Amino acid sequence: MQPLDRYLNNLSKLLPVAQREDILRELSEDVRSEMEDKQAGLGRTLTEEEQYEILKRRGNPLQVAAGYTSNKGTFAFGPQWIGPVLFPFYVRVLTFNLGLTFLILGGIFAALSLSGQPISFSYIVSNALLQLFIQLTAVTAVFSLVEKHLSRHPDHWNRQAVNIEVEKEVERILRDIPKKIREVSRFESLSILVASTVGLMWMQALWTHPFFVFGPAASLIQFGPIWHRIYMPTVAIILASMLRAAINLARPDWVLFRNVAALVFEAASLAIIYVLMFSGSWVVPVPTANSASAPHIAQVVNQWMPYGFWAAAVISIFQIIKNLITLYKNWRWGSSASSNQ
Amino acid sequence: MTHSSPNNDLFENLRLELRRGSLVLAVLAALRKEQYGYTLRKALADLGMAIDEGTLYPLLRRLESQGLLLSEWREEEKRNKRFYKLSPVGEQVLGQLLAEWKSIDSSLTEIVKG
Repeated sequence: MQPLDRYLNNLSKLLPVAQREDILRELSEDVRSEMEDKQAGLGRTLTEEEQYEILKRRGNPLQVAAGYTSNKGTFAFGPQWIGPVLFPFYVRVLTFNLGLTFLILGGIFAALSLSGQPISFSYIVSNALLQLFIQLTAVTAVFSLVEKHLSRHPDHWNRQAVNIEVEKEVERILRDIPKKIREVSRFESLSILVASTVGLMWMQALWTHPFFVFGPAASLIQFGPIWHRIYMPTVAIILASMLRAAINLARPDWVLFRNVAALVFEAASLAIIYVLMFSGSWVVPVPTANSASAPHIAQVVNQWMPYGFWAAAVISIFQIIKNLITLYKNWRWGSSASSNQ
Repeated sequence: MTHSSPNNDLFENLRLELRRGSLVLAVLAALRKEQYGYTLRKALADLGMAIDEGTLYPLLRRLESQGLLLSEWREEEKRNKRFYKLSPVGEQVLGQLLAEWKSIDSSLTEIVKG
């Protein structure tokens, strides 16, 4: 494989899907023109080293792709922590994590309020700010590490970085550029890995610091036994999702694998929701709680929990249907693509 | 190996900032005549307005999406190339920008004269 093909392959993974084919064709043409010009000047074919020099001067694929990324946001305090390519995924992960955290916190405050506990506005604000700080720190730290890794190894597209198997795959991708490309975005896989890592860390932290989920009610209520029963299966689903994302990071063309895995994980999640839904008792009073209102708070929370599970079940069923449709479409597309070859 | 002084860095940043503002004008003016990316880049560089590919191609895309440029893929010398040219709207905007540029130029000349 030529250095140019290798460079374009690495770049292709970072470009917006809708414009990928067009950008690659244009950049490829530009590099070829420059190489031809140089060859004409030297009166001989360029060596591989000279070809790498031309490509190196254009900057690493991450920087080049950043120019085509529509969302130009970055995260920086002095040095840039998260660049424009990773930034949209950072925002997506952060929004999801914060949304979930605030939803849980809102539920807890609602339960406290319904059980007659006095809650001041400043108390709500300070709790919300603390959760915001925790999520922001964790997600930013993980993404800035990823960014740092990518920036420190700008030449990872070069010859040493690619093995023969990947080269074959790349040749196939480049051959297929004129066709409509369907593959799992590497950054979607990366953001799943990051979000799942943060999710696992958060779940671990909940056992030792129930404050993260119960907020101010942590001294009065705690998780019921059902959560201990579903803990390991939940961790297993998250780990399996991470494994799936890691595989798709290496093999983005395994679209059907992603679809089937997503369907299986969603079905497994629905089974967990089902088990939770009919448990009847999700939080229990802390045995050492001094307040007489602890049982009442637990009762109020338990009264409202089923609504949350019903909502989660509906979303899960919707996701399963959506995944089934996607799986069918991709299967059809895969069949027609292979019959066209 | 060269060491850049803080003054050199500052000058380089300011110089880039100054040039960045005039790139759109240079690209639009150069595309009054149809060209493809590489020849455009070379033409600009030959006239002292070197622009790297990482800046030029995203800029061309942006100008096209704003309706200032038209582009088409065409075969030339047995290779497919994307040719760009100024659109009718682009011509109008270029005229306005050139008038603005002349006005800034004459103002600056007066200011510098003191």
